[in-house]
Amino acid sequence: MNNTASCPSPLDWDTLLAYWLCELDIDSEAAVEEHYLGCTQCSQRLEWLAALAQGVRNLIKISGVNMVITDAFVRNLKARGLHVREYRVPLNGSVNCTVTPEDDFVLGRLEAPLDEVKRLDLVYLDDEGKDQMRLDDIPFNADSGSVVFSTRIEALRALPACTLRVRLLAVDNHDSRILGDYAFNHTPHNPQ
Amino acid sequence: MSNQDPDPQPDDATLAERVVHAAPGIDREAEAELCRRFAPRVRLYGLRHMRNDAAANDLMQQVMLMVIERLRAGALRESGKLVSFVFGICRMVVLDLQRGHARRERLLETYGDILAPPETPLPNLDEKRLAHCLEGLPERERTVLLLTFYDDTPADALAHDLNLSPANVRVIRHRGLERLRKCVTGETR
Repeated sequence: MNNTASCPSPLDWDTLLAYWLCELDIDSEAAVEEHYLGCTQCSQRLEWLAALAQGVRNLIKISGVNMVITDAFVRNLKARGLHVREYRVPLNGSVNCTVTPEDDFVLGRLEAPLDEVKRLDLVYLDDEGKDQMRLDDIPFNADSGSVVFSTRIEALRALPACTLRVRLLAVDNHDSRILGDYAFNHTPHNPQ
Repeated sequence: MSNQDPDPQPDDATLAERVVHAAPGIDREAEAELCRRFAPRVRLYGLRHMRNDAAANDLMQQVMLMVIERLRAGALRESGKLVSFVFGICRMVVLDLQRGHARRERLLETYGDILAPPETPLPNLDEKRLAHCLEGLPERERTVLLLTFYDDTPADALAHDLNLSPANVRVIRHRGLERLRKCVTGETR
């Protein structure tokens, strides 16, 4: 195949991603490899996916992101030797919390009755109880009985002493009901 | 005109033929161009199979050295099958590396000083833009993509963790990747 020619039958993004994630059977995997090894366009696409994966890892590792996570993800963070600080908050409860220089991740685990919940929204509230930021339709595993989320660690480190309020809402069609309210009583780290 | 300019963009097969036909001499220009084209692709193959930058670089170097060595020795009989030839060597070297084989040292002693392929790091994405684009995704798509890429997690495993079906994870992943790709690359359609 000519190095400069555009590909007459480019591999689609889903196939490339499935290949990268080891989801293809052996024959399909070999066909993808033999294709991109001879194809500038498709190898560049695959290169972009690999760079995206690296970029996501860097982003999560360096500054963290606001995201809902799974227990498997938490286990993998710890297995990589990262320092994970986790605060479990009971239903309608509160917890005293901080973030230290050694922490790589700070997680909140919100206990909630998730059985029969169809859609779940996570809302950050201000001091007056108004919506500050809303994460719509977050993924969750009802069997776990909790929702785990991480907050950008840089943002946490910049916080003064304050109370962060979070609410879980069960949404069904156009109705929503409060599943639980949670309070994080944050204090900046004081090494003394 | 009797003196035609050489093809400014010879295809891969032509370059391979030049290397074969130059033996026992050396067509350094053709060898270098083949390495320039194939080394990044071979490194990707290495990253996919070894999941490690250093191992992928080792594989890339070893494969390219073997490709050139074998081309010089006339091992490629049909230049049109160059890609299959490279692919076969990639598979063999991955197995060798996984067995801890030490052929690399001998090859580097023979060819390393003239043919060591250049380092070919992955392209850097603008991380600020990536962060901005991720923030703009619907939560479900963002979570699925972040969890997918952070640990290279396949759909089946993620589906289990999130209590979704694998097909549902693939649909969410597909939509999220399309949105993210267009945002990061600035593609409007």
